[in-house]
Amino acid sequence: MNNYYGRQIVNPKIASVPAGIIVRPAFISGICQRCGQQQLAPLPNQQFYCLACLSLGRVSSLDVLWSLPEPNAFAHHEMTLTWQGTLTAQQRLVSQALIDTLGAQQEHLVWAVTGAGKTEMMFPVISHALQAKQRVAILSPRVDVIVELAPRIATAFNTTPMAVLYGTQEENYRYTALVLATTHQMLRFKSAFDLLIIDEVDSFPYVNNAMLAYAVKQAKKAESTVIYLTATPTKIMKKRAERREINVSYLPLRFHQHPLPTLNVSLVGRWRKKLPQKLLRQLRQFQKRMQRFLIFVPRVADTLVIYRKISQRFPDMLGDFVHAGDVSRQQKVQNMRDEKIQYLVTTTILERGVTFPGIDVLILGAEEETFSENALVQIAGRVGRDNKRPTGLVRAYVQHINLKVLAAKRQIKLMNRRGATLGGKR
Amino acid sequence: MCLICQKKRRETISLLETLGLLKQKHQTICEQCATQFASITLSCSGCGRQQEHNELCYDCCRWQNQGQLLLTHQALYVYNDAMHDYMQRYKFNGEYALRHVFNRQLIQAVQNIEIDLVVPIPVSQYTLLTRGFNQTLGLFEGLRYQQLLSVSQAKKTDQSRFNRQKRLTRAQPFVIANHTSLSGKSVLLIDDVYTTGRTLYYAAELIYTLGAKNVKSLSLAR
Ligand SMILES: [Zn+2]
Ligand SMILES: [Zn+2]
Ligand SMILES: [Zn+2]
Repeated sequence: MNNYYGRQIVNPKIASVPAGIIVRPAFISGICQRCGQQQLAPLPNQQFYCLACLSLGRVSSLDVLWSLPEPNAFAHHEMTLTWQGTLTAQQRLVSQALIDTLGAQQEHLVWAVTGAGKTEMMFPVISHALQAKQRVAILSPRVDVIVELAPRIATAFNTTPMAVLYGTQEENYRYTALVLATTHQMLRFKSAFDLLIIDEVDSFPYVNNAMLAYAVKQAKKAESTVIYLTATPTKIMKKRAERREINVSYLPLRFHQHPLPTLNVSLVGRWRKKLPQKLLRQLRQFQKRMQRFLIFVPRVADTLVIYRKISQRFPDMLGDFVHAGDVSRQQKVQNMRDEKIQYLVTTTILERGVTFPGIDVLILGAEEETFSENALVQIAGRVGRDNKRPTGLVRAYVQHINLKVLAAKRQIKLMNRRGATLGGKR
Repeated sequence: MCLICQKKRRETISLLETLGLLKQKHQTICEQCATQFASITLSCSGCGRQQEHNELCYDCCRWQNQGQLLLTHQALYVYNDAMHDYMQRYKFNGEYALRHVFNRQLIQAVQNIEIDLVVPIPVSQYTLLTRGFNQTLGLFEGLRYQQLLSVSQAKKTDQSRFNRQKRLTRAQPFVIANHTSLSGKSVLLIDDVYTTGRTLYYAAELIYTLGAKNVKSLSLAR
């Protein structure tokens, strides 16, 4: 029965209902009660199902939603923070501000430069909430991020039971105070969480997605705290911060106190036709120094083409190419992590969440539409994430310079200036 | 939009199509998804399984030795990974919209077979109240048929849960819903997937008791 605490689970109308379960209709005037959307597809006999939340398993007019109110029935004494690290002075300030927000049950935006150590900063507030028997969800729109976060959170709270949820499967679910999940999974919860932490809140598919916004809204309790984490807030988020509708903490310094690498821009010719001389010169250098690197390209089709051209020119330098639809994506990323290959040609899928220590980054066609201002800032943030090599090269090759590229340069400079006033290294 | 991967497709209409000289193709899925499915080209004349020749396969020889009249089953596609995923979504996740994907081809296939009437394999009342549709009727939507069979009250359990041995030894799962004489008639049984053939042979057995001259069968996948 505790599997229904704070949840909303789809069951056929004809299933017999255990005592105590609250049964709600799956649709009210055509609106799906699980996802809040009105996007119906017909079934025979005037029945229908919801297309919007189909990826979590179908909800149809033949179904109802089962739930039980969240009782916060946790054994909180075992939930201690087992993390041994220490926070920098700035991280401690942010961390304390979050604990204050938790007390006031408000919303809080943490605008932290990539590599600031966002996750570690969350540990104290999570610990506080767990001690108070609160239920906590840590969310990201992206599965990759969840997979990377899971072991880190598990180590930091190694006596606390935690459910890690993503994909369509229900099997991993058990009733725990600590939940790590993709934002989508919130569609299976109802008034469950006292504290929600949403990582990468500006990234696809969360941004501009009415269904995911609804999912988060109904998964939290009426009285609850929401913390948003991002390196590149959306305009709407910035506006809300300016209007003081939401608390804000800035963290412009990376954990090693070094600034973000600046974005270098090089003008080149039509690189899809022929690899530019400037790029070849750079690659020769990488080869000589055995420097590991990523090359970002605008389109999926570019990944293979550019990879082929580079491997023809530099047959001794081992590399690969990857994009979102690539079935061996996980393996290729792992090969890069394990240093089995020296470089990857990639689309924006590797723009965030993934860390390769000590790499440099090149961007081909940075002026093209695929790369937003925020994407360029995120990509620059892939570099200099290692204590041993806190700096590095970020170079964008463009056929012409546009406002967006300049805005990305400016955003990085602004963060670095903020960091400098806080005593960061230059 | 591709029904399978949801990607938008660029509709390129050729000159001949615009002039009305060539019929426009009504594709429901994109080319990339389409290439994942494998058409059956050469097959066993008994069960429609893809193989190197059209002679009876081992399983069909066995049916014949048991005294069964072979169904001369036809299937359009090999049950490969893509078909498995498709069935998983269509049948088990209940994405009824996916019934359109192979509809035209299936109707076309029925029209190429000489028969007097079509009888679909039924689903249980439980399935109708949970899944909400008979997957076979969805696939063949638009076809005229007669619902002569129904699932017997001793509940038809979910076939995919049983191994081959259990499936083969299970007793007749169907009953005749409508006692009409089929004397001298050629009947086509339609189903979604041919797995062991047991289901279809049980159905054929009942159809023959109504006096049918011969019973053939057709499915989307084998
Ligand atoms: Zn829905
Ligand atoms: Zn497709
Ligand atoms: Zn055969």
